Amino acid sequence: MIVEISHFLSLLATGLFFLAGYFSLFVSSTSYTSNLISRTYSQAFLLLASSFLIYVWLAVTDNFSVEYIANHSNSALPIFYKVSSIWSAHEGSMFLWIVFLSIWGFIFNIAVNNNDILKPKTIGIVSFILVGFLLFLLLTSNPFATILPIAPINGADINPVLQDPALAIHPPTLYLGYVGFVIPFASSLAFLINGDSNIKWEKSIKKWSVMAWVFLTIGISLGSWWAYYELGWGGYWFWDPVENVALMPWLAATAFIHSLSVSIKSSHLRIWTILLSILVFSLSLFGAFIVRSGIIDSVHSFANDPQRGLYLLAFIGIIIVTSVLLFISRFSMIKPSSNIKTLSKESFISINNILFGTLIFAIMLGVTYPLFYEYLFDQKISVGAPFYNAIFIPIVILASLFLFLSVDSKWSRGITIDLFKKPIAFSAIFSIIFVITISFLFNTTDIFILLSIFAGSLIISRYFIEIFRYLFNKKYLNPYSAIAHLALGLLLVSISFNSLLSTERALNIKLNEYEEYEDMKVYFKDIKLIEGSNYDAVKASFNIEDEKGNNFNLNPEKRRYFTRGQITTETAIHITPIKDIYLTIGDQLDDGSWIVNIQINFLIRWIWFSAALMSFAGIMLIFSKKKSNI
Amino acid sequence: MKILLKITVLLIPIIFIFMFFFLLTEKKPYPGADYKEFPIPNFNLESLYESEPLTNVDLRGDYIINIWASWCITCRIEHPYLMNLKNKRIPIIGINYKDERYDAIEWLGRYGDPYDKIIYDFKGLLALDLGVTGAPETFLVHDGVIVAHYQGEINNSIWSDVFDPIIKEKEMFK
Repeated sequence: MIVEISHFLSLLATGLFFLAGYFSLFVSSTSYTSNLISRTYSQAFLLLASSFLIYVWLAVTDNFSVEYIANHSNSALPIFYKVSSIWSAHEGSMFLWIVFLSIWGFIFNIAVNNNDILKPKTIGIVSFILVGFLLFLLLTSNPFATILPIAPINGADINPVLQDPALAIHPPTLYLGYVGFVIPFASSLAFLINGDSNIKWEKSIKKWSVMAWVFLTIGISLGSWWAYYELGWGGYWFWDPVENVALMPWLAATAFIHSLSVSIKSSHLRIWTILLSILVFSLSLFGAFIVRSGIIDSVHSFANDPQRGLYLLAFIGIIIVTSVLLFISRFSMIKPSSNIKTLSKESFISINNILFGTLIFAIMLGVTYPLFYEYLFDQKISVGAPFYNAIFIPIVILASLFLFLSVDSKWSRGITIDLFKKPIAFSAIFSIIFVITISFLFNTTDIFILLSIFAGSLIISRYFIEIFRYLFNKKYLNPYSAIAHLALGLLLVSISFNSLLSTERALNIKLNEYEEYEDMKVYFKDIKLIEGSNYDAVKASFNIEDEKGNNFNLNPEKRRYFTRGQITTETAIHITPIKDIYLTIGDQLDDGSWIVNIQINFLIRWIWFSAALMSFAGIMLIFSKKKSNI
Repeated sequence: MKILLKITVLLIPIIFIFMFFFLLTEKKPYPGADYKEFPIPNFNLESLYESEPLTNVDLRGDYIINIWASWCITCRIEHPYLMNLKNKRIPIIGINYKDERYDAIEWLGRYGDPYDKIIYDFKGLLALDLGVTGAPETFLVHDGVIVAHYQGEINNSIWSDVFDPIIKEKEMFK
């Protein structure tokens, strides 16, 4: 009964969202209609939010007459996972996705004054997008379907790999990022529909865009971290198709935020800004399509149902084609009156826009080409890390060099950048010496690794000089840009060292014996069967003595979950600031020895720390009082 | 903006949309499936772990043969499903195909070993006799005779659509 109330509320919300959209786009706008639209949207949102809260309550109280809850939750689960089970599969996670989308619209609705000329149209566009997705949810993936008359007593279970705090937070954070770009998207469409090129709309969406970007950054990093310690993948990035569809909007969003700050300052790059706002949201929708249409097999994809895929494709297609048509038809309106000066800050940002566009195109190719190829020639090909590395590394290095030079450039002025000026020369000399030292120290001539370290070191040293000048010479410094770019430099250096130094090996060890690996003694102390609440496991115990004589224990496990019979590996990781020692156990061989996989991962923590630092810069910007920041 | 550029900007999403439309509506009744019956060819190869000889005599009853390799990315995607079959007590004979022994053992160590026996086919000799074109491929074997063959990754829907009818018909895995 309660589930029907929830169902009904979301139906009602769909109707009201439709009305809000209809009023804003098809009824001539007056102050009366703007108020009406705003109020209708808020009411619709409250209905949808109540519907979702009731649904959460149904999950918490183990209402297994709801088919989705029965299939994905279990009465034995802690409350935390009963809630997160809602987004452990397609229907519920789509529901959450839509609710998040409506929350962004709602906050925009209450934060922006009704007199704002673009507000009604922006709200209207958000409403229509919500209607489309709500219909998708209700018609093709109904989370409210019930099993009657007899409901199962205990439910099934949430996928064990999802029973993890990081994973309970990872999808919601990522979704908040994806759908957050609906605000810049809808605003730029509203601007195009309105047709008055004098409106300075860019400034009002700055913080919204940065906020969505922060969520996306954190969401992607959480996913990377989770795959490392919970899935036992042993690394931070795998170019998995679904990682790629999250990376594309992130790259587009990063380019978008930079373009946006140019447009705010000088109304330049408006074409880029608008095109990128369309691209970011389209790529977010594309991500939803890829994951939910079952077109790609991946750890992330949901069950295959061509019906859903077709609906999503049609709806997303309409959104993208309409916005591109609108963009084309209003092109003359957003054309800049003057050209960008060469060597100005704007010019560097537009060069990097092109480079980011190239990266996005390369990933798009990597994701879709195997699909199209298989369709046309009936042969499977796989595009993996070598392809992406070959394209990414040189372009990222190039983009970093432009970033490095742009530090000395000025807005709207094409002053010549003197390569022998002190800060540039100092950073360059420092970085060259650093790279040569690294090359000798670690005996490497891998040009791409050395170049990446060089690029990272250039950025870090250049921004350190800026911070130094800010502290002692009171020179102006944009703190958000400095921190975010320092984080980028750190990211480049950490990734390079990680791929340069990290090693792994599968060892065969018998109980009470030891193997040596990289100056470490891995001693196999003990192995026993243990029982958890919903699984049994073999738990091995290793004592590791490192080159300095430090001792520590690592206890990797292999678990078998009762309900689904699924087997998972529980990694054991010894963390130090410089390196992780990462242990997983495999199977027992016939001679009684066990396969133990050991990895030494250098600076892997620093990769996530860099991402956190980038997000931190974004958060600082969101909470800053000053209005003219980039 | 030149008209050509405008058309290009519009065409890119439209082409993608149509390609995906064709992908989604494609109705291929499992092009990778093949029901030609033939006996397991004679072979004499080593096992992956112990390097002991393995021949036809070592394979008895009903089982599936799975061709895999550590270099094969699709095999990794397929792998959880094989673990699932193992839990359902379906015997799986692995043929490690054109792979380095060390890499293969490490791969199994990392992801788990779903196989009852693993034939180490470095030169692809047995695979050639079986008509294998790549990895992964899977054969359904009933009393020494191959009764179904699937090229590509197997999963739940392929198992129920391609293999299950034969399994029911021949009353296998009893």
